[in-house]
Amino acid sequence: MIVVDHVSKEFRISRQQRREMGPGFSGSRIDAVRGVSFRCTPGRIFTLLGPNGAGKTTLLRMIATMLRPTGGSIAVAGFDVVREAVEVRRRIGFLTGNTGLYDRLTPDELIRYYADLYGMDPGVFAKRREEIYGLLGIGEFAGRRIGKLSSGMKQKVSLARTIIHNPDVVVFDEPTAALDVVTSRAIIQLIRRCRDEQKTVIFSTHRMGEVSLLSDDLAIIHRGTLIFNGTYKDFENQMQTRSVEDEFVRLVEAA
Amino acid sequence: MTRFVTIFRKEFTDTIRDRRTLFVMIVFPLILMPLLMTVVTNMQMSSMKKAEEKVLRVALVANGNAQGLVEALTARNDLRVVAGIPADSVEAFLARDSVDAALVIDPGFDAAVARMASGTVRLYYRSSDDYDMVKRRLADIVGGFEKQIVAGRFAALHIDARIVNPVVVEEHDIASMKERIGKSVGGMVPYLFVIFCFMGAMYPAIDLAAGEKERGTMETLLTAPVSRFQILLGKFAVVVLTGLLSAGVSLVGILVALRRVSKMPPELMNAVMAILDTQTVLLVLSLLLPLTVFFAAFLLSISVFAKSYKEAQSMISPLMIVVIFPVLMGLFPGIVLDPVTALVPVLNVSLATKEIIAGTIRTGLLLEVYASLVILAGLSLFGCARWFEREGTIFRGV
Repeated sequence: MIVVDHVSKEFRISRQQRREMGPGFSGSRIDAVRGVSFRCTPGRIFTLLGPNGAGKTTLLRMIATMLRPTGGSIAVAGFDVVREAVEVRRRIGFLTGNTGLYDRLTPDELIRYYADLYGMDPGVFAKRREEIYGLLGIGEFAGRRIGKLSSGMKQKVSLARTIIHNPDVVVFDEPTAALDVVTSRAIIQLIRRCRDEQKTVIFSTHRMGEVSLLSDDLAIIHRGTLIFNGTYKDFENQMQTRSVEDEFVRLVEAA
Repeated sequence: MTRFVTIFRKEFTDTIRDRRTLFVMIVFPLILMPLLMTVVTNMQMSSMKKAEEKVLRVALVANGNAQGLVEALTARNDLRVVAGIPADSVEAFLARDSVDAALVIDPGFDAAVARMASGTVRLYYRSSDDYDMVKRRLADIVGGFEKQIVAGRFAALHIDARIVNPVVVEEHDIASMKERIGKSVGGMVPYLFVIFCFMGAMYPAIDLAAGEKERGTMETLLTAPVSRFQILLGKFAVVVLTGLLSAGVSLVGILVALRRVSKMPPELMNAVMAILDTQTVLLVLSLLLPLTVFFAAFLLSISVFAKSYKEAQSMISPLMIVVIFPVLMGLFPGIVLDPVTALVPVLNVSLATKEIIAGTIRTGLLLEVYASLVILAGLSLFGCARWFEREGTIFRGV
């Protein structure tokens, strides 16, 4: 379960960034997220949709304890992301489209590294590794250096790293960005599998196809505020245009 | 603690698999540096010997004067006197490299000497050639000739030569060979190992922070159930270790190079080997530890701030000059380890190392150097940890 309650995030901006924003902007701070509230429940996929720069990544980084909210609160699996950050981290898996790997390690070494960081029991780890290797087909290249692997293989290793500790909550930040169709499909299957395992899944995207394919619940974020929050079914029911994409554009333009 | 060990182990494995780091940390100080030192020193020694043994072509314009000097010159096997060159052409001959030097004896030389005045001998040479060896060799011969004249004059005047040497200075140098070498070349040792320590720490520091940000691995690491301080400590320990390893390897490299300089006189070699005994090496390394901690914290702070590997590299590379400068200052005459210089980072290590090698280090000053370095190392680590906690630093450009 993720409970986001009136969360805001303010960033201090540099002189150069202020210049880039044009003469209309005069402040030294910018609101990346403003008063956002929503709830993600186990066994459902929560999609966070928004254009580039809307605040999706900032919000997900706050959920994953990388950034601290400047206002409001976030609870993950019952733990506060600021006061109980380490407890939250034990319970989440985090994957982004930009996730890199250590090229000089092997998949085996990398996954073992994260398992150790999560403090996994060796017996539990061995069983979980076997299960995930079987699921993603990693076994055949587990001993090769990651730098020598294809991008598809690397993405599988990233997925294994994300779920090795069997997290209750999985956060995917634009996980399919810049990936080919085949690799994207593997991620989509994994997101579904996480839902089937009653995990809390939140993922952000700006690909409309993925929204209709995966979403149980949907929030649309634009300029740091939510302009829609409800079930995907609610979204479809209130659509005033023919397609999801057109409706998204209509809502963004109206905001 | 377990998490720290996990991070340290992984970062170390990752680092030693990086060819660039391995080259700077092992290959360069252990193989290339000794090789370069050996080749350069042997070449220098051999060219000096060649310059000493070279048969000099000396244009001699005697004008019928200074017969004793002419005889002294022609009697030598290491000189070939070239006669028949007019006095006004000797510079042109030298410029064309037809001769190595020229001696032009003034036409009134003998007359001047006979009336107890000074006769002039002009020596033409090129100071840029062969370590100024030509001038030294000819000046020795002319000097010998002058001594003969002076002795003749004293004899003619029935004067005891001691009349012009009322004071005889008997020199008693109480500095041991170890002290003399330590003070003269001891400054070169910190010059090498401080730089290697910095270089050895530099690439891992860039790779483990800025590199990790650039590759997108930092973000996932920050979502692991580990405090940022533990993450930093794991990385920091690897940077310290690589810096120390690199400096240690460079010391081994210096030893290897010294053993390979085949033409070094055995008594000098024995003195050098006596200097590098276990106690000296351990004392020097003990200075290096807090210095490396300072370097590691400083380098990691910059690397954490940088958006990319390239940016970190461009920010850190010029700092090498900042490190080299105080080390070089330690080589300047007149700059010694005192209560003030003992507080200046890097310079204090350079000066203290020189004193340790010479065996003249004073315990009070050594403790002051340690205190200064430990406080600096602690402050820089504290600053680095605070810096690593800042969102604006970690997510700058991510």
